[in-house]
Amino acid sequence: MNAILFYLATVIVYGSVDAMACLALNVEFGFAGLSNFGFIIFQAVGAYVAAALSMGPWQTSNGGFQQYVFGWHLPFPFPWIGAALAGGLLALPFVFLVGKRLRGDFAAVGLLVSAVLLNQLVNNYVPLFNGAAGISIVPAPFQGFFNPQGLAYQFVYGALAVVLSIAVYFILRRITESPYGRSLRAMRDNDVVADALGKNIRVQRTSIMVLGGMIAGLSGAILVGFINLWAPGAWGYAETIVLFAAIIVGGAGNHKGAVLGAILVPLGFEEITRFIPPLSNPSLIPALQWVAIGLLIILFLWFRPNGILPERRRILSGETSRSPDPVVADEASEPLINLGKIDQMDFRSLLRLEGTATQHDVVLSTNKLSRAFHGVTVVSDVSIEIQRGRLTGLIGPNGAGKSTTLAMLAGTLAPTGGTIFYEGRDVTSMPSHERARAGIIRTFQLASEFKKLTVLENLVCAIPHQSGDSFRGASRGKRYWGREDHENIERAKEMLDGFGLSQYADSYAGGLSGGQRRLVEIMRALLAEPKVLLLDEPMAGVHPNLAHKIGDQLTRLVDSGMTIAMVEHELAIMDAFCDPVIVLAEGRVLAQGTMAELRAKEEVVEAYLVG
Amino acid sequence: MSVFLSSLGFGLITAAVLALATVGFTMQFAVTNVLNLAYGSVMINSAFVTYFLNVHTRLNAWVALGGGVATGAIVSYLINRFIFTPFQRRNLPPITIVMVALGVDLCGTFGLQAIVGGSYFSFRQSPGRLWHFWGMYFSTLQLTIIGIAVVVLALVHWLLKYTRLGKAMRATSANMNLARNSGVRTQMVISTTWIISGALCGLAGTVFAMDTGVFDATSAQLYIVLLLAAMFLGGPGEPYGAMLGAVTIGVATEVSAGFINPQYKEVIAFVVLIGMLMFRPYGIFGKEKTL
Repeated sequence: MNAILFYLATVIVYGSVDAMACLALNVEFGFAGLSNFGFIIFQAVGAYVAAALSMGPWQTSNGGFQQYVFGWHLPFPFPWIGAALAGGLLALPFVFLVGKRLRGDFAAVGLLVSAVLLNQLVNNYVPLFNGAAGISIVPAPFQGFFNPQGLAYQFVYGALAVVLSIAVYFILRRITESPYGRSLRAMRDNDVVADALGKNIRVQRTSIMVLGGMIAGLSGAILVGFINLWAPGAWGYAETIVLFAAIIVGGAGNHKGAVLGAILVPLGFEEITRFIPPLSNPSLIPALQWVAIGLLIILFLWFRPNGILPERRRILSGETSRSPDPVVADEASEPLINLGKIDQMDFRSLLRLEGTATQHDVVLSTNKLSRAFHGVTVVSDVSIEIQRGRLTGLIGPNGAGKSTTLAMLAGTLAPTGGTIFYEGRDVTSMPSHERARAGIIRTFQLASEFKKLTVLENLVCAIPHQSGDSFRGASRGKRYWGREDHENIERAKEMLDGFGLSQYADSYAGGLSGGQRRLVEIMRALLAEPKVLLLDEPMAGVHPNLAHKIGDQLTRLVDSGMTIAMVEHELAIMDAFCDPVIVLAEGRVLAQGTMAELRAKEEVVEAYLVG
Repeated sequence: MSVFLSSLGFGLITAAVLALATVGFTMQFAVTNVLNLAYGSVMINSAFVTYFLNVHTRLNAWVALGGGVATGAIVSYLINRFIFTPFQRRNLPPITIVMVALGVDLCGTFGLQAIVGGSYFSFRQSPGRLWHFWGMYFSTLQLTIIGIAVVVLALVHWLLKYTRLGKAMRATSANMNLARNSGVRTQMVISTTWIISGALCGLAGTVFAMDTGVFDATSAQLYIVLLLAAMFLGGPGEPYGAMLGAVTIGVATEVSAGFINPQYKEVIAFVVLIGMLMFRPYGIFGKEKTL
């Protein structure tokens, strides 16, 4: 009987440690889109630091048979706090790998290889970690006062572990179910676009890596305090894959899924194999265990890629009954012809625009802007001026460099030469998210909606200055940001209503048709409250009637002092709304003027208008 | 000086094996955009096929090598055809494919371990007499490995440069849609590339095991570090870059092992890999891909 109770206590501790690790990794991977393939080293470092802080100096304790650093003999809970801090600090060097726009899989192999190599170093460098032998006789917390081998102690330890993992669950939920969590998921779905909407990708990734590292470190400390030994062999890079398998099985982007995965995969696999009688070939069971983990990953990714408990869709509209998954409508039968009531919308109050366009000074300009790809010059020496309170058009044949110019203006793409000025300041090297915060907002030519955010979430996450859209704001809880978020949601709903897409408020944006996604993008860009709005073919795939109504609204916006530059192929739109129009051809400015003036110029007609 | 020369000799052998492996690995990335982390497991499985043909059916080692090469080619083709391709058709992000590849790697490595057990193996043939050039020492076996690598890589060069297939491969790698629209049968090209790169993988795995002397089912697990470092140094998807990267990494690891602790010889590969990923993820000569 006692043996079973001891076993139960062990399972409770292991389960809590695995649950904490999976919760932390899930926030990194399932919410923020960070594939931290080196996750296990954060847990290992936490465990080591907790061990080394709680033990006495190595020269004098236990006859000095093992070497390690610290040896400060700290009482509980300081070793655990130290473990969490160490896990968080360890994240910082890796931020250089994930902080920049490196392909997700490249960053992931970088982290994987880091884990492999650190493990190897630890195995071989005795003074720091005692080499492959690892450290044993790690003191259990309060072992001077209680008997760590006692059943009561073991159950209290288990209870503490459970309480800590529940605390982690609620802390993480508080972060992810906030406007900040929305920004994290936006970054996961498309980091370039999130960047262009003013989200600081590097800061977001850093805070999540640090948070995840701290939890991993703490979970390692709990484990090492219980089993009283630490050896590098137990922290191989493949253990991270087990945790990933757990999250894939449980459900990425769902906290409950992470806990379920932790119970099914690391805990379940470890415990079930204990009951298999020993075989003549001792490596057979562990080998088959790894094969099973591999199969589990492949089969789940194929048959149930969202896991047992898939990510929950957030219903923001407050109307739970009306949330149909959109039928992916073919363009022809699209309900866009009913157009909402866009003509009656008052964007001035919705977007809090106060001014009127009285002066047309230059707000955004370039001087000899150039960009080359693979040595091929796409934009060369483009000097243009965009005036405040005007709707400037950019036209030109395919490959003229229109979209490239737009991307450089917004900071998505760095120029290879030339300078960009915004409101008199040189912004050439200002990062994209800072330009967005300064008021330059762009849209994208290709689909750029956040696929696994609902339409309403797509819109709300673009609204600037949200008090809950930072780590600190989110951690202050819903009481701090809830009322403001509610107002933001109402604004977004009003916008959605005007564009006639209310019925899709709670549908995933990735399920909309091409034309609908265009509209979501325009709405999102407007809600970002731009001073300068850069539109890249906004009307492509939008019904012509609706396109004209949007054009009318854009004209009203510029009359209220907004500045808009628009790349568009549809000359009818240019004729109706844009003045001036800049013609680009082969990367150079060919002409500039009203459409009527341009039609009179022979070289423009030759380069573009007829061809 | 003598330490330098003798470790340079080791470096050349490591480089020869690594070059064979990296060229196959980078070709797979070039045509399918997959970081095939299961590559090491295919290598070691091929080595074991050669081993069993050699030891149990008493085939000559070099004939048995053909079995290893064929295993690499067939297994790689099957993995791409029945695992990677179906996943890629679903338009999943590259990271999902990498996870699938890790799953395949676990199945391959530990499936093999379940069959052959956890013990070590070694080929029966002797390494032959010792040759001595300019302070470097090579066994006949090692000279043969270097010779095989030079001949095979010359063949790869000829294939890429002077044949229609090679041209089609380079076109598919540069822009698959454009290649398909210009009449290249991209599916066929991809399959052929996986067979050829798989053959290189099988060959590299076998000579790796022969050169190592003693090996077990998990011997190639850490090889992925060297592979990735060599590939990223030369630029992912660049076969010539891979050759150059492999020679650099192979020589650098062995020479550094001659001067510092040999247990840390992979560290230099690691530093190169992380540095490349941070500063030039498209290789020293590679060009940035457009968004």
